[in-house]
Amino acid sequence: MKNKRYFNWLLAAGSIIALASCSANDPISDLSLEETQVYMTDRDKTVDFKNYKTFSVVDSVLIYGNQGTGTELTEGDVMLLNRIVRNMENMGYQYVSADQKPDVGINVAQVNNAYVNVISQPIGSYWGSYWGGWGMGYPSYYSYYTVNESYWVLEMLDFKNANPIEKEVDVIWRSQIRGEGINDKTLIPVMIDKIFEQSGYLKINQ
Amino acid sequence: MKFSHLMKRLLSLIFILSIAQTITAFAQENPQLYKLQSPFERYRHNSITLRGLGALPLGGLSDDYIDKSSLKNYSVALEWLFPNAPVSAGIEVGKTYFEKRLPRQLYNGAEWDISAVQTRTLTLTPIQGFVNYNLSGVNAIVQPYVQASLGINVVNYVLYLGSLGDQYQKLRFGYGVGAGSRFLFKRDGKFGADVRVRYNNATFEYGYLEKGAPHVTASFGLFYRWW
Repeated sequence: MKNKRYFNWLLAAGSIIALASCSANDPISDLSLEETQVYMTDRDKTVDFKNYKTFSVVDSVLIYGNQGTGTELTEGDVMLLNRIVRNMENMGYQYVSADQKPDVGINVAQVNNAYVNVISQPIGSYWGSYWGGWGMGYPSYYSYYTVNESYWVLEMLDFKNANPIEKEVDVIWRSQIRGEGINDKTLIPVMIDKIFEQSGYLKINQ
Repeated sequence: MKFSHLMKRLLSLIFILSIAQTITAFAQENPQLYKLQSPFERYRHNSITLRGLGALPLGGLSDDYIDKSSLKNYSVALEWLFPNAPVSAGIEVGKTYFEKRLPRQLYNGAEWDISAVQTRTLTLTPIQGFVNYNLSGVNAIVQPYVQASLGINVVNYVLYLGSLGDQYQKLRFGYGVGAGSRFLFKRDGKFGADVRVRYNNATFEYGYLEKGAPHVTASFGLFYRWW
């Protein structure tokens, strides 16, 4: 009888532990690459973009982050720069080279950061993050993983109203493209079209 | 002489039949006369209940964040029942998960305008004590009860914009009130079923949720009891 009582309590305790151990599902695992992407835009609300007529774009992409800084021009970068030109022209701007004193210039950069994170498993994956990574009083297994964060940054610079004394130009529009697959060549046109589509105030040929 | 002998036999037979009838009637009226009460009626005993829950968001949770009901929820409860008291008590641990996907749309913020597919999630892990007021005996086939619970909720609110998540994870106060009934599969049996409807809330304020996460759960469960 005593053994049976222990069995009943073991059954009860086992049920609770099994319940607590159930891992959380990943609610975004079914997203397509395009659906993971986030298109962010911001502007200087005091600026009337109809005051600008010409533009230019950098001839390569700046790569910067904690893994190093430099410029590159891959096939995907060319595609991206050309798509920016096409969208700007569709909005009424005229492309000129950088030495022809454009009214606005567009910088393009990709930020690449990598850092190490830690999780504990199996139960600790839930509780561990709550307690800031500290383990609980039961065995758990810690694993380390590297997070790679990459995103595009676009900035529109106001050369028309540059301050020649301070050598400063204002950023009058900026955009970030975050998420998965941001270097996927099939998605580059979609990404660029989307950020201009949601920035209708840039249009000067209405 | 012969007639009187016959009468004596007849009277004896009537007497025996009347005694037998009296004993039979007495036994039918008192079937439990010599039967002991079940141990569940004599001793404090325990029960474990595993429940599957359907959850329906209410109030601000439904209006401002997730209006979609969910079915993938569960709980386990340990309960202590007392033979001569209508009140029982226990602890219950569970998990309730809400999720809603919104197609890509533009959100105009104070600074950024953001175009994204939103995935809204909320996981509540209640760890609560409860008290039941039982409306029938511990060995009745149908055992209706009303319940009040109090404890904590591990709140995990994650709002995804695309693959970027904004997470709020805290321990917060939680409570619930409900009613249900247990059904023994057989009298004196150890196994039974449980149905319950309960209003629940977790008190917190974050993001889209300004007044916690009110919701109602309807559950079906199976219990095992032992003493």
